[in-house]
Amino acid sequence: MTATGGFAAERIVIVGFGPVAARLLEHLEHLVTTGAVAVTVIGQEPEPAYNRVLVADVAVGRTREAAIRLADASALAALGVDVRLGARVTRVDRPFRRVLLDDGGSVDYDRLVLATGSRPVLPRLAGIDDALLPAGVSFLRDLADARALSSAMAADRRIVVLGGGILGIEAALAAAEEGARVTLVHSGRAPLERHLGDGARVLGAALARTGITVTGGASTGITLTDGRFSGLTLEGGLQVEGGALVIACGVRPRTELADGCDLNTAAGILVDHDLRALDTRDIWAIGDCAEVRCWDPSCAGCSGTTVPQGLIGPGWQQADQLGAAFTAELTGALPSAAAGPPDRRDPLLLLKARGVDAVTAGETDADPWSTEPGLDVAVWTDTGHGRYAKMVTRDGVLTGLVCVGMPRTGAELVLLFERGSELPADRSSLLRLDGVEGGAPALRPGPEATLCRCAGITRGAVEASVRAGCTTVQEVSAGTRAGTGCGGCHEDIRAAIEQHYAAAVAP
Amino acid sequence: MPAQVGTATHCPYCALQCAMTVTAGAGSVRGDTGRHDDATIAGRDFPTNRGGLCRKGWSAADLLRHPDRLTAPLLRGPDGVLRESTWDTVLPLISQRVRSIQAEHGQDAVAVFGGGGLTNEKAYTLGKFARLALRTSRIDYNGRFCMSSAAAAGKRAFGVDRGLPFPLADLDDASVVLLLGSNAADTMPPFIQHLRGAQAAGGLIVVDPRRSATARLTGQGQGLHLQPTPGTDLALLLGLAHVVVAEGLEDRAFLASRTRGYEDAARELARWWPERVQAVTGVPAPLIRATARLLARGARSGTAGGPGAYILTGRGIEQHADGTDTTTAAINLALLLGLPGTAGNGYGTLTGQGNGQGGREHGQKADQLPGYRGITDPAARAHVASVWGVPEVAIPGPGLPAVELLASLGRPDGTRCLFVHGANVAVSAPDASAVIAGLESLDLLVVSDFFLSETAALADVVLPVLQWAEEEGTVTNLEGRVLRRRAAVTPPAGARSELWIMQELARLLEAPSVFSEDPETMFDELARASAGGPADYSGLDYAVLDGGSPAYWPYPTGSTGTPRLFLDTFAHSDGRAVLVPVTPRADSAAARIPAPLLLATGRLLEHYQSGTQTRRVPELLAARPGPRLDLHPATAQGLGIGQGDPVVITSAHGEAQATAHLTPDLRQDTVFLAFHFAGAGNANLLTGGPTDPVSGMPEFKTTPVRVTCRTARTRRDGQAQEVYA
Repeated sequence: MTATGGFAAERIVIVGFGPVAARLLEHLEHLVTTGAVAVTVIGQEPEPAYNRVLVADVAVGRTREAAIRLADASALAALGVDVRLGARVTRVDRPFRRVLLDDGGSVDYDRLVLATGSRPVLPRLAGIDDALLPAGVSFLRDLADARALSSAMAADRRIVVLGGGILGIEAALAAAEEGARVTLVHSGRAPLERHLGDGARVLGAALARTGITVTGGASTGITLTDGRFSGLTLEGGLQVEGGALVIACGVRPRTELADGCDLNTAAGILVDHDLRALDTRDIWAIGDCAEVRCWDPSCAGCSGTTVPQGLIGPGWQQADQLGAAFTAELTGALPSAAAGPPDRRDPLLLLKARGVDAVTAGETDADPWSTEPGLDVAVWTDTGHGRYAKMVTRDGVLTGLVCVGMPRTGAELVLLFERGSELPADRSSLLRLDGVEGGAPALRPGPEATLCRCAGITRGAVEASVRAGCTTVQEVSAGTRAGTGCGGCHEDIRAAIEQHYAAAVAP
Repeated sequence: MPAQVGTATHCPYCALQCAMTVTAGAGSVRGDTGRHDDATIAGRDFPTNRGGLCRKGWSAADLLRHPDRLTAPLLRGPDGVLRESTWDTVLPLISQRVRSIQAEHGQDAVAVFGGGGLTNEKAYTLGKFARLALRTSRIDYNGRFCMSSAAAAGKRAFGVDRGLPFPLADLDDASVVLLLGSNAADTMPPFIQHLRGAQAAGGLIVVDPRRSATARLTGQGQGLHLQPTPGTDLALLLGLAHVVVAEGLEDRAFLASRTRGYEDAARELARWWPERVQAVTGVPAPLIRATARLLARGARSGTAGGPGAYILTGRGIEQHADGTDTTTAAINLALLLGLPGTAGNGYGTLTGQGNGQGGREHGQKADQLPGYRGITDPAARAHVASVWGVPEVAIPGPGLPAVELLASLGRPDGTRCLFVHGANVAVSAPDASAVIAGLESLDLLVVSDFFLSETAALADVVLPVLQWAEEEGTVTNLEGRVLRRRAAVTPPAGARSELWIMQELARLLEAPSVFSEDPETMFDELARASAGGPADYSGLDYAVLDGGSPAYWPYPTGSTGTPRLFLDTFAHSDGRAVLVPVTPRADSAAARIPAPLLLATGRLLEHYQSGTQTRRVPELLAARPGPRLDLHPATAQGLGIGQGDPVVITSAHGEAQATAHLTPDLRQDTVFLAFHFAGAGNANLLTGGPTDPVSGMPEFKTTPVRVTCRTARTRRDGQAQEVYA
C-alpha cells in the first residue's frame, strides 16, 4: 500500500476495538488523514468501542447504548481507517508480519498493537460448561450481556449476582435501584472485604438497607428449569432462587493470541515501559491485556511490575502514551509529555452506584497501632450511621484510603490520593466535609458584625438608627445605607426594628 | 445656591452599570478638605439594579475632587522626575517622538493598550486612532484578561458573543440558575436580586472552589454548592453533560432542529462518567448527578413555559489557559439541555468591567474592527474603510493579543512606544514584574489616567483625563443594552477628555478621517461603522438612547433592537449553534503530582480592578486596607501559619506578600489573593505562563504556589503593615 506523496505509509494493525483502542485511534487519526500511516482496527464485537464501565447501566435501563459509544465506525472509515467489525483474529504470523482472520483473510502490519482486553472469569459451577452459558446466565462485560440481562429482568425481577467485588456490587445496586429483587452472593465474610477491611461491614449494612439480600458462601452449581436458570446452589445445599444470574467474578487478560505467537506472557502480555512486547521490535500491547514489567532499576516512572487491573484509566493513559510515541516517531516531531510512561498509581476502586458510597485505594490493611516510622493510620467508625473512613499516610502523603457512607470526604480523599498529596495534620478536618451545614450554631452577632455586606454597615449602626427613631426598612436604609444593595439584609433590618420595639414594650 | 437637579447616569464600576442619579453640589476646590461634598449619589430604579448600589457605587463621588486628581499633564524631566507641564508642550512632543520612533523602528514599534472601562465612543476612537493616526497594528486591551475566553467560546458556538443574550430580569423567573465561577454577591451585589426566584425554588447552583458569599446563598436548601479543585471545571462540566446524555435528559428536538455537532460531542462525553469526574475534581458523584437532574428539570419546566433554567459563567472558569474550552463545555451543557435561544431558558456570561461588553465590540481588540467584525474579513475592511474615508490598505492587519503585546515591550523589533488608556497593566497584567520591566524599557510611555496609577507612575508623559461623571458617552452593559452616561459635574480645569486628546494628536500626526472631541459625533460614526456587523448599532443615536426605551444590540437602522438574541436562529450561516467537542489537557497545573497548593486570584466587594480608584476611597480602603491571603486553617496549620501572620507567596513567576486570613471557606488545596493591590502585595507578581491558544487568556486561577510565614521578628514589632503601605 502506498500513500499520497509516494512514500510507503506505515501499516498499523490494532487488534481489539474497545475503549483503549478507540483512544489510540484518536491519536492516530491525523496521521491517517495525512497519509503517514494506514490503520486497520479489528474488533470482535459487532459494535465499535463503547464504554464498558457503563454496561450495567445499559442492562438495567438507566442509559442507552447510543450514550456510551466511544467511536464512530463510519466516521473513521471516512477518514481512511480500515474498520473490521465482527472479525476475529485467529493467529499472529510474526515471520510474515500479518494477522490471520477467521474469515480466511489476512492483514499485513508494520506495527501490531494488541488491545485485546480481558474476558470475564467463569467460576466452576455444576450445570455450566465453558462452551455456552445457559439462558438466564450472563456476565456483565459487553452489550450482548447487557441485552441478555435486560430481557431476563423483564421476564423475572429476581436477580442473583455472583461475586462480591466492585462489579458485582455495582450490578446488584443498579438492578435493585431499578426495581429488581437482588441477592448478592459473595465468598468471603463481607463484600469487598479484601479492599475495605472493617469498612466492608459498613458497606454490607448499607447494601442491606437498599433491599439487597447479601449472602456469603461458596457457590457449587446452578439449577435449570426448562433450560433456563432458576437457582444458584451454595455449599451446604442452600438454594438461591432467581430468574437470572449475573456472574461478576473478575476478569482475566486475553493473552491467547500472544501465547499463540510465542510472546512472553504472565498474567498479561509482558511489555516494557514503552509498552512494547518483550523481545519484539514491532508489537505493542495496551490496556487490560498488557502487563508492564520494567527491569530498569533507574527508571523513575516504573516500579517493578504493573499487572492489569481491569480499570479503564490506566488503559487510556497507555493509549495516550503509545499514541504520542507513534506520532513522534512517524512525524519526526519531538515527543510530547504524554510520550513518557504515566505515573503509576495504585488502583483506585470507586463504587459506581446511587445512594451507596464507597471508595478505596492503595494500601488499606495498615494497622492503626503500627509503630513503623512514617506510617500513620487514622480510622473513623460510626456503624450506627453507616460511616467509616480510614486514611493511611507515609510521611504525611496519603497512600491508602477507605471511605464508606461519606461522599464528600470520599471524593476529597480520592482527589488527594490521585495527586499524591499530603494530608492535613488535622485529619478530622476532612471528615467534617460531610458534617452538617454551617458548623456551630450561630451566636447572635455583636454590634461590630457586618449586617449589610453590600454597603458595609454594621449591626450596631443599624441598631443606632432604630434607636434614633427609624421604624421602617426604608428609613433605616435612607439613614445608614444598609439594605441599599442587593436587599438581602432587609429581613435582618426588620428584625432589628422589631427587637427594639419588642424590648420597649416588654415589662 | 440654586437647587441642583440630579443627572441620570450609571455607575463607573462594573458591567452591571447600576443606574444612579448624580447631583452636583456647590463644588469644592481640589485638595481642600478631603471631604468631597461637591456631588451626591443616589440609586435609581432600573431593571438591572432596581435602585440598589453597592458601597463602591455609593462612594464613587469621593473620587471626583480627590486630592490625588491629576489636573495638568506630567512630563518626566531629564532628572527622571515627573513634573507638571502644559498640553501645548506635551502633545507636540508625543507626536514628534512617535514619528521618530516609527521612522527608526517601523510603524508597529508604537502600540496602544486600551481598557474595558472606556466608553463606546472612546473604545471606538482608540481603535481608529491606533490604525489611522498611529498607523500600527498593535492595539489590544485589558478585556483580553477578562472576557476573551467567553467571547471566543460564544462566537464559536453561536456565531456572535453578547454576554447575556437576554435581559437580566428574565432570571427572576428562573427555577434553576447554575453560576460557574462567579462571586456576584461580592463583584456585582445588586445582581443577586435576580437569583431570588431560583433560591426560593431550591435551584441556585454555585460552582466555586471557595465557599464565597455567592456560594453561601445556596445554603438552607436554597440550592447546591459544588466545590471543585481549581483548574478542573472542564472535567466537571463534561461530567454534568455526561449525566444529561446518559440519563436521556437532553432536549432532542432542540438538538435536532437548532444545533450541529451533537454526535462528536456526545462521544467525548461517554468517557466522563461521574465517578471518574469525582476523582479528577473532588466533587462527589452524587452531587454531579443531582446537579444535572436539577438543571434538566428546570430546562423542561422552562420549555413548557414555566420557570426555566439558566447557565451563567464568570471569570472563575474563563480565566484559565483552557478557558475557551471550559466555557465551551458550559455552552455544550446548555445546548444539550436546549437552553440557548429559547424564551424561558438561557445561557450567558457575566461581563466584568464597566464597558466590558461595548469595549469588546468596537475595534480595540487586536483582531477586530468596529461592529464586532474580524479585521481579516475583506468585506469588513472595505466597509470600515469606506466609513473612515480611507483606502482599505490604510487599515493594518491583526496585531498582538495583550500578553504577547506586553511581552514585546522593549524587545528588539518589539514595541518601543506604548499608549495606555483605561488600564493599569503594572498591576492587572500577569507576570507583573516582567510587565513593569517592559514598561521601564520603553522609549516612550504615554498614560492617560485621572490618578497617578502604578502604570502612570512609570510613564514619560501622563495625560490627565476626565472621570465618568464629567463627560457624555455610552456604555453597553452586561445584557448588551446600550446606556447613556451623562456629564453631571464640571471637570477640574486642566483635565481633558480622551476624545479631545486623540483629536489633537491625530491632527498633529496628520491622520486622515475624522477625530472629534464630541462624543455624539463619534457615536454616530461608530453606529455607521457597525452597520451590518454582528454588534450593529446603526439604528441608535443619542436621541434614541435619551428617549429611554431599552436599546439592546443588534439595533440595525429601522429596528427597535434585540432584547433576546437567537430566538429564531443562531448567527452561524446555517442558523445552527455548534457543539464543539472539548477535553481537558493533560498538562494543566491542576494535574501535577504531587499536587501543589493552587492560587486563585479575584475580586473583593470593596475594591475594583487594580484599585487605582477604590484604594483612594477612604471608606473602601478602611474596610480592606491591604492584601490578604485566604487559606484553610488546616492548610495554615501545616505551614505553621497563624491568623494575621505576614506570609510570602512564591510561584514560578515571582513572590508576593500578604497577611494570612484563615477561613474554612476555602478548599484545603486552594489559597485566594485579591488582585487590587500594588507593590509587594500585587497578586499578579505570581501569575503568568502559557495563555489560552484560542483566546489569548492568561492563567489567573490555577497558579501553583508555596506559602511561608515571614520572620517572627517582623510579626512581633507589629510593622508588617508597613510593607504594603
